[in-house]
Amino acid sequence: MDRLMSDEAMDRILIIDDDEINRELLDNIFSAYYLIDKAENGKIGIDRIEADPDRYSAVLLDAMMPVMDGLEVLRRMEKDGLRNVIPVFLITAEASTDVTREAYELGVMDVILKPVVPYLVLKRVNSIVELFRARKRLRSRVRMQESELIKRARRIAELNRGMITALAAAIEFRNGESGEHVSRIHDITEIILRNTKLGDGLTEEEIMNISLASIMHDVGKIAIPDYILSKPGRLTSEEYDIMKTHTTKGAQLLETIHELRGSEVYSYACDIARHHHERWDGRGYPDGLKGDEISIWAQIVSLADVYDALSCKRVYKDAFPREKVISMIRNGECGTFNPQLLQCFFSVEDKLSRMYEN
Amino acid sequence: MDKQRSEMLYESGVDVNDALARFMGNEALLEKFLLKFCSDKNYSELKDAALRRDVDGMIRTSHSLKGMCGNLSMPKLFGLFTDQLTALRSGKTEDALRLMPQISEEYDKVVKSIKKS
Repeated sequence: MDRLMSDEAMDRILIIDDDEINRELLDNIFSAYYLIDKAENGKIGIDRIEADPDRYSAVLLDAMMPVMDGLEVLRRMEKDGLRNVIPVFLITAEASTDVTREAYELGVMDVILKPVVPYLVLKRVNSIVELFRARKRLRSRVRMQESELIKRARRIAELNRGMITALAAAIEFRNGESGEHVSRIHDITEIILRNTKLGDGLTEEEIMNISLASIMHDVGKIAIPDYILSKPGRLTSEEYDIMKTHTTKGAQLLETIHELRGSEVYSYACDIARHHHERWDGRGYPDGLKGDEISIWAQIVSLADVYDALSCKRVYKDAFPREKVISMIRNGECGTFNPQLLQCFFSVEDKLSRMYEN
Repeated sequence: MDKQRSEMLYESGVDVNDALARFMGNEALLEKFLLKFCSDKNYSELKDAALRRDVDGMIRTSHSLKGMCGNLSMPKLFGLFTDQLTALRSGKTEDALRLMPQISEEYDKVVKSIKKS
């Protein structure tokens, strides 16, 4: 047998039997194929198993023993969570008794009749040990593949976010802002969804997708001429009309990205790009949606956008102090918002304000 | 093991070939346990227990002897201890006690032939 090659490659079995002849017989049968430990009763046996369960590939267990019998050993193994971890073979003189039935119920793999027939017991034990070994190998391979897949998926998600952020940041640069604005919108959206009831019913994945989609809310600005986008003063009404088209143009742009259409992020991204300037009172653009007609994520990004614009310096304004930002939002100076949204927003505003501390 | 000893053992009630198969052909190990069987205390303890009509003591020793006779391929003794154990466990103590002379006869025969070398 090839398994005879080295100690390391050899499995070890534990023989628990009070009868010396039985122990020696089994030892004599198995010692060519396995390393052997022996115990003279159930108590000594279970102590050895509990001390190092990984040590044994199988346990040969006598049913009737003084101090602690076979069933008691099985019950202890069950309690230790070792059932089906180490295969146990019950060695007994009587096949069809309550003891055998209970032993099967406690998870023994097979019952071996005494006096033992060597080739039979050897064959049965080998088969089961091989089965357990194959199962263990398979399990560890699956675990390895799983963690590899998770790592790869995470890598792809990071890459996606990176590319989307790069695109959005490139657009931001045109009106003299760094890419930090889109990153903050992402974080504000995520914080609100994660920490308030507005995120109730959303899965972890949906929250991640919505936050990713929020990064793309202003992609339509790529279609707005520089002189409007970077104008420090007030826009004329014609200019403002053009400016407003960044919502519809953003949604159109996203529709043309074939790869995005197949992704979970797509519908959120289009919705947010098109509707992040709608207003709760119906006076927003481009569709004049009102109240709950506006999705909650579009509402969140809308408020996040206002909050971030007020808290930072822009071409047309300086940064406002925190108190002023809060009071302007609360008093409706920057648009009307869903009261429930405002309540949730203020409950996490303390956390959000820390993004602007530097 | 020479043929003569093997035949003598067989006649006295030890199925040597069957036993050797169980011991994977390991004659030394078989001889070791045949000798151990002769000096094993269970037999004298069974006789004492029978005199005292100690049922628990009889069950314990008869069970051990049955196991040994099974492993050492002594079909007659194995059968006798099996019957005795069944009787004891179903409360038929008299039946179990009645088997004692026959058990002793077979036991002495086997031990005598094992000890002869």
